[in-house]
Amino acid sequence: MRRMSRPATTLRLALAAALLAAAPVALAYPEFEAFVERHSGRYVNCALCHAHPDGPEGTKPGQIRSLDAEELARLNLARAAFEPGSDVDSPILNDFGDEILHRVGKRRFLEIRSTDPALLADALGTDSDLDGDGIPDATEYLEGTDPLDAQHGAPLRLLRNNLERYRFDILMIVLATACGLWGLNHLLAWAGWRFRPALRDDPPPSGGGTLP
Amino acid sequence: MAGADKRLVDYLARRFPLEKLSFHSLVEKKEVPVHRMSWAYYLGGLAVFFFAVQLVTGLMLLFYYEPTVSDAHASVEHVTRHVAGGFLVRNLHTWTASAMILVLLAHLLTTFAMKAFAPPRELTWVSGAVLLLLVFGFGFTGYLLPWHQIAVNATKVGLQSIEQMGAYLPAALADLPGELKELIQGGPAVGQATLSRFYAIHVVVLPLVFFAVLGLHLLSVQLHGMSQGVDRATGRSEEFFPFFVLKDFSLWGVAFLVLFVVALVLPFESFFSYPLFGAFDPMGSTPDGIKPEWYFYFVYYPLELLPFWLVALLSAGATGVLFAAPWIFRRTGRRTLRILALAAALYLVVMTLFGQTLYEVFRGGGG
Amino acid sequence: MSDLPPLDLFLFAGLPYLAVALLVVVSVVRYRRDRFSYSSLSSQFLESRRLLWGSVPFHVGILVLFVGHLLPLLMPATWIQLTAHPPFLYAVEAVGVAAAVLAAVGLAVLLVRRVTSGRLQAVSSVLDVVVVGLLLAQVAVGLGVALGHRWGAAWSAGTLTPYLWSLVTLRPDVAQAAAMPPLVQLHLVGAWAIVLLLPFSRLVHLFSLPLGYLTRPYQKVVWTNPRRFERQSVAERSRAAERRHLVKGLLGAGAAGALLGVGILDKLARFLGGPDMTLDEEAALLRKRLERLEMTAEERQLQLERMRSPYIRVAGLGELSPTQGHYFTDYLMRPALAFLGDDGLPLLISAKCTHLGCTVSSQVDSEGRLLCPCHVSYFDLESGRPLPGSPAKAPLPQLGWVLRDAAGSVVASRSPSGETAGEADQASAEQLAEYDVYIARRFATGDA
Repeated sequence: MRRMSRPATTLRLALAAALLAAAPVALAYPEFEAFVERHSGRYVNCALCHAHPDGPEGTKPGQIRSLDAEELARLNLARAAFEPGSDVDSPILNDFGDEILHRVGKRRFLEIRSTDPALLADALGTDSDLDGDGIPDATEYLEGTDPLDAQHGAPLRLLRNNLERYRFDILMIVLATACGLWGLNHLLAWAGWRFRPALRDDPPPSGGGTLP
Repeated sequence: MAGADKRLVDYLARRFPLEKLSFHSLVEKKEVPVHRMSWAYYLGGLAVFFFAVQLVTGLMLLFYYEPTVSDAHASVEHVTRHVAGGFLVRNLHTWTASAMILVLLAHLLTTFAMKAFAPPRELTWVSGAVLLLLVFGFGFTGYLLPWHQIAVNATKVGLQSIEQMGAYLPAALADLPGELKELIQGGPAVGQATLSRFYAIHVVVLPLVFFAVLGLHLLSVQLHGMSQGVDRATGRSEEFFPFFVLKDFSLWGVAFLVLFVVALVLPFESFFSYPLFGAFDPMGSTPDGIKPEWYFYFVYYPLELLPFWLVALLSAGATGVLFAAPWIFRRTGRRTLRILALAAALYLVVMTLFGQTLYEVFRGGGG
Repeated sequence: MSDLPPLDLFLFAGLPYLAVALLVVVSVVRYRRDRFSYSSLSSQFLESRRLLWGSVPFHVGILVLFVGHLLPLLMPATWIQLTAHPPFLYAVEAVGVAAAVLAAVGLAVLLVRRVTSGRLQAVSSVLDVVVVGLLLAQVAVGLGVALGHRWGAAWSAGTLTPYLWSLVTLRPDVAQAAAMPPLVQLHLVGAWAIVLLLPFSRLVHLFSLPLGYLTRPYQKVVWTNPRRFERQSVAERSRAAERRHLVKGLLGAGAAGALLGVGILDKLARFLGGPDMTLDEEAALLRKRLERLEMTAEERQLQLERMRSPYIRVAGLGELSPTQGHYFTDYLMRPALAFLGDDGLPLLISAKCTHLGCTVSSQVDSEGRLLCPCHVSYFDLESGRPLPGSPAKAPLPQLGWVLRDAAGSVVASRSPSGETAGEADQASAEQLAEYDVYIARRFATGDA
């Protein structure tokens, strides 16, 4: 229907069309989303692993139908990452999604998807923490918190990690407040003495003794 | 008539005792009554302190914020993630906002219970009511600025309730609420126009108006001094300078410590699900859990549970009572006022903490 | 943590927290109930000579030891760097041992004094003896640690400091404490025992540091004239009190101001200095901004188009398929899909899922259903209705379309409510393939 000027472009488009046609019907994996929401009680969306919050289907940036040739090439490389260890940079996945493919591999990932999504946490291991908030990515996956946002995580965990990380600042401000309170208290006492005229060094009245 | 003129002049003179604008009155002889509700005298100052913190942190955030729909979210993310201490400033701004509103509500309830609005302090009360509305305005306009899912959608929901009024008005006026909503939005939908004007309102208009009204409020407090507070005065009082002031500063110091540490170690985002903070996409999906800020729950959950007309009526009534309190409760005793204040506090606490639970229990009940 | 013996858990996690909790609570309660019990219960007027030889060496020694224990706790990194130099390490250890010996000697004298003086026994309680004994034992064990497990000044920053901080951050690292040699553990437990006893005994005088000694005059003039004596002593007391409080007040407020000022200025400077990002992060940020700008530009383009034209082209009728939908954006800027219907005419349906607004997928499955992958809702293509069991409850609305030929004249149309107009049903398949499918503004303005 459309006329191509260069045969190379035709070939590329045909290849892309063929690959797209060979794609499975649904490219999103709602099993994982359902599992995370059930397990954690928190609401999540496709942006946990994907580039677009509504998943890979569609025409928006980060979705399949918006990819140009270079991005399609990266997508196919990512799709072929069946074994762990390959450097993945898929245009429809975020850094966490890339990390999953890198550490777990597509084959094992698909196995986990059809058996038990909870196993993904074990497969990821606990030494990966992409956002550096002190909570391993596997734990953030299980708890439904954003593994790429250091400000997001289970509040109690973040509290403890941050107490540890910022202990110098906390110590300093506690010290400052303690000094300040101590000083203000003494200023209060000073004021108490200062503003009691009866106790100031006034000369005694002209007649009579001053013995109480 | 000379008599009416004289009465008016006396009335105003009593409310604006400008002869008290002297060093002697304002500094040397200023005293604070000491009784068992004396702790409540600190709340107003604490609220002013929190406002000052908001000004400073807000100004710092302003250095990096970009008020366009394409860049607002990215700029907020930028200041949170990449600027040194940015997350601290942002969290401090958010937590202090909540703390300020909490303290203000406590201030409202305690001044009500202490009958601090009794003559000649009516103006203090009315200006305080205006300040409360301004602060809620701050909260509403500020919430939109990060332009994420919960910000935009919660604002849409909030503005929709204005439009819903149209259904209850006579045909000739039925369009007015919708037009008012469009005026506030700056267009048919919440978009760039809305963001620009909410930004202007939050950063310039409301602060200026707030300063003006706060100035009036504080002037009135200074002129009249602290109210008696209890029915049977103990007769004891302490001087404002230096005793009360030093204790005030101590409280502010401790409050700042608590806020600083909380802002440092507990990001407010962690209490919500993360999709709510994703960039707003008008063509994409809406995440679950869109709600206004907690300080609107006392009116949001009733809107979800009860018929709209009922909530609108009750809100109008409550606002009327709020502004007219000095005249409505002129002859009410403090004991009754305390009970009313406790009842109001109970309602606020229950609706805020358990509103979601109530909604789930009675899901779909009412309008 | 569960495989550690319960005794270890108690001694190194339970006991510290218990001791600190009791310290705080009991001290406060004691202060409120009986303020004047905050006293060292000095027995100087009962027996002063041995007290001198006992108390002074003890206090000097114990203060030096206290500071020496505190420094590695507050600045472990710096301390480790300093003690890496042997001369510094030997000096510190020597000072520590000397202080310990001094303290031990002083405590021994005090203990003997306490038990042998009749006068003292009349005013002493069991707790007094326990306190002296415990302190002496602690110092002795500490000496044992210093001599038996050299060099404590160096290794304490690497072991004691992390353990104590782990207690502060509510994540007690019991395993580390349990791995220490028994003498060190004994010293540690002894310390917690002293903390525990502190609020119950005379040790509470630790909280009333006699800093006033630093500012009181060394020489006092006392008048014997009774009037002047009275006035002078009253005035002097008040002046002294004023001065004391003013000095402490300014000191405290000043220290607080300095700390706050430095802290805030430092943070402010770094905040205003801008972000610190690696090149990769900057590139990613720029890419994200560019994407957002492009999205906004695209959106504005679409809006402009919809404002200008009464008709927007969706696709050629021949390009549509009955099973693979073609995405487009309708007049209300919502996503929509275009299919080829069974009658050879277009079937346009909104693609914005009525549940939470996700875009439904474009592929129709074998049962004629459209899937919304976000929460797995299935919609029947023909009617738009969601299947039972789907989270979506409302049907996907159908959109009206207009068929135009190559010249641009309208050949056929269908409104959103389903009314068809025109003669499209009489056209042949080849003719149909030449037509283009458009959406019309007049259908959208009636839409919700």
